[in-house]
This record gives sequence, structure tokens and C-alpha cells, in this order.
Amino acid sequence: MNPSAVASSKQKAGASQPSETSYKRKRGVFQKELQHMMYGFGDDPNPLPESVALMEDIVVEYVTDLVHKAQDIGSKRGKLSVEDFLYLIRKDYPKLNRCTELLSMNEELKQARKAFETDEEKLRKAFEADEDQKLTSTE
Amino acid sequence: MEGKKLTKQQSKDPFEAAFEEEQQQQQQQQQHQDDDYDSPPASPAPPPPPLPNIISNSESIPNPPPEENDDGDDDNTVLPVVISGDPSSSSSLSAVPANSTAPSLPSSSRGAHKTHRDDNEEEEEEEHMEVELDKFPSSADPDKMAKMQAILSQFTEEQMSRYESFRRAGFQKSNMKRLLTSITGTQKISIPMTIVVSGIAKIFVGELVETARIVMSERKESGPVRPCHIREAYRRLKLEGKVPKRSVPRLFR
Repeated sequence: MNPSAVASSKQKAGASQPSETSYKRKRGVFQKELQHMMYGFGDDPNPLPESVALMEDIVVEYVTDLVHKAQDIGSKRGKLSVEDFLYLIRKDYPKLNRCTELLSMNEELKQARKAFETDEEKLRKAFEADEDQKLTSTE
Repeated sequence: MEGKKLTKQQSKDPFEAAFEEEQQQQQQQQQHQDDDYDSPPASPAPPPPPLPNIISNSESIPNPPPEENDDGDDDNTVLPVVISGDPSSSSSLSAVPANSTAPSLPSSSRGAHKTHRDDNEEEEEEEHMEVELDKFPSSADPDKMAKMQAILSQFTEEQMSRYESFRRAGFQKSNMKRLLTSITGTQKISIPMTIVVSGIAKIFVGELVETARIVMSERKESGPVRPCHIREAYRRLKLEGKVPKRSVPRLFR
């Protein structure tokens, strides 16, 4: 059951073709993460491999359909944007709320990292100025 | 909480300090391996005051697990109580929690889990950080946090490990980005877009697994979830309209 693939063979990552131009879809791309995820959501600690494979297929198909729909919406603007996705899931409250939460957390993280870096810069400059002072004073 | 945090942050990386504080807040039933966090990093810079308490752990941004069977619309923006939920992780940046080697636990407590779970569980899919903000400015709810703490303190070990998995599991950003690029063609995929799609996909997986579990209980089966359950769950979700329909039927499957 291959959504968009001509032939889906079990290719390891780093195979010949880059995925952008290849029609083959590597299998087991999300396998490891999916296992943990399924366990977290209520499955066995070791989910069946066929369940994981099926889940991966379903998820890839879901994402594909979602992206196609978003592209239909966003085609007016020309580019695909995050708002298209948010519009698509507007009726699904859990997803919508989660996404807004994620996005705002991402923003906060960015601000925090920026603040951290500027502070480090200031400290480093102060430190170096100190060092220079000491050197000139001891000469 | 804050006072403790500030004193610790003198000589430590803010991430480690915040994480360590998290660890202390964790219930003592978990074994802590805090020692790894006690050694100060090489960087001498104290963290800037306005930094929210960020813990970088592994992947996901936590998602507020539903309490008391509350339904999805409720307060999903509240930042959950910071639980990095990983008592046994020894490295602050390890991507995979120790429960990858978890022994197969009896499925009896799964029923208890289901009452805790809800459809709005998801985890963030940032591959390098699990971020837990102690106080999320607009949606902090000390009440909720207290409730969460109360619930978490009563978790059994199996529940805790499952919860940890739930919080930390997430799609790799790189893989998702590759997938998105291959779907859209040549478009450039921004980071927020991968974050959003990964989050949506994770909730979708959650819905599928939960519905599959419901199917299993209806058929009075037990054990790991089998593909037939997943297929039935998928069919039900389609009926509910949670799965986007293809405008063009897929041929030549």
C-alpha cells in the first residue's frame, strides 16, 4: 500500500537518489519514533512490527492528503504556509489548540535563545575588556 | 519554585538548572540519576533573568494530558506541568528514553490509562529539545499544575514510563521535513511548518491507537494492537470525518 510510490523497496537512508526527486519511498522512516509513540498512547511496550508499518503508511497518507489540501488552499497565495494547516484543522479542537500551543512555545524559545546569546555576548565583551585592562596595567 | 531555581542557576547552564529543578519536583518514587546534572558546564555565564525555565531534554514539548476525562476543548493551551517525565534518563540530550528497553508490562493497567487519556494528547516534535516551561505566561494555571502533580505522584511505574514515552515521542524533524518536501515538490519547508505537521500527525496517531484500543475492548481481545484493529479504527475515524478525504480517488494501490 504505497501512497505515492512507484515501487517501494526497503531502502536504507543514504541510498542512491535524493528523496526530493525520487519516487521511491523508504519504508520504516518513522519506525523508531512510532514505536515509542504507540506505546505512549496505549499500545504494548513492543508494538507489533506490522502494526507499526501499517501505522506509518496511514500517517504518511494522512500527511500527504493534508498537505495536498493545504496546497489547494494556499495556492492562491502561491506559497504553502502554516496558516493553511491551521485552517484545515480548525474544526478539530485538540489539534488546533495543540498547534497554537506549539507555535507559541517555539516563539518563546526563540526569544529566550536570543536573549541568552546577547547576554553572553555582553559578558564576553566585558570579560575581554577586563583582560585588556589588566594587561595594560601590568605592563 | 523560582527561588530555588535562581540560586541554582549561578553556575549552571540554564537548561541543566531548570532540568535539575524539574527532577527535584519529580516524585520520589522514581529513581533519580541527578548526579549528571550537578556538574557545572564550562560556560561561566549565568543565565539571564528573563529566561523562562527551559529544560532541554529530548524531544517533545509536552502536551497537557487530560485530567479527569476532560474533553479536548478544554484548556489545551495550558502548559502542562513540567514533567520531563524521565526519571531514568541520564543524559540531558538523549533522544531516546530508557523505556525503549522497558520490559513488557502487564496490560492490566492500560485500562487505568485510558481514563487519563484524551484526544488532545500530543507531543511536540522538536527533535533536539524537550521544552518544559515552568510558567507559561498567559496560560499558566497553578491549579492545573497542582492537579497534574497530584496525579503524577500516584502513577505506578508502568504508568510513569508510558507517560514518559507519550511526552517524549515525536517525529524527527528531519524526516518530516524530507517527507514534506517530497510531497510538495520543491517548496521550502519552514521549521514551524514541520513542527505543526508533526504535532498534527502525533495527535492523529494518538487517536488511531486509542480508537484501536476501544475496538479491541469491544471485541474482548487483549495484547498488542494488531493491524486489523488499526484498520477498523481508521475506518471509524474516516466516518467521523477526522481523516481528510481525497478529492481524487487513489488508483493503482
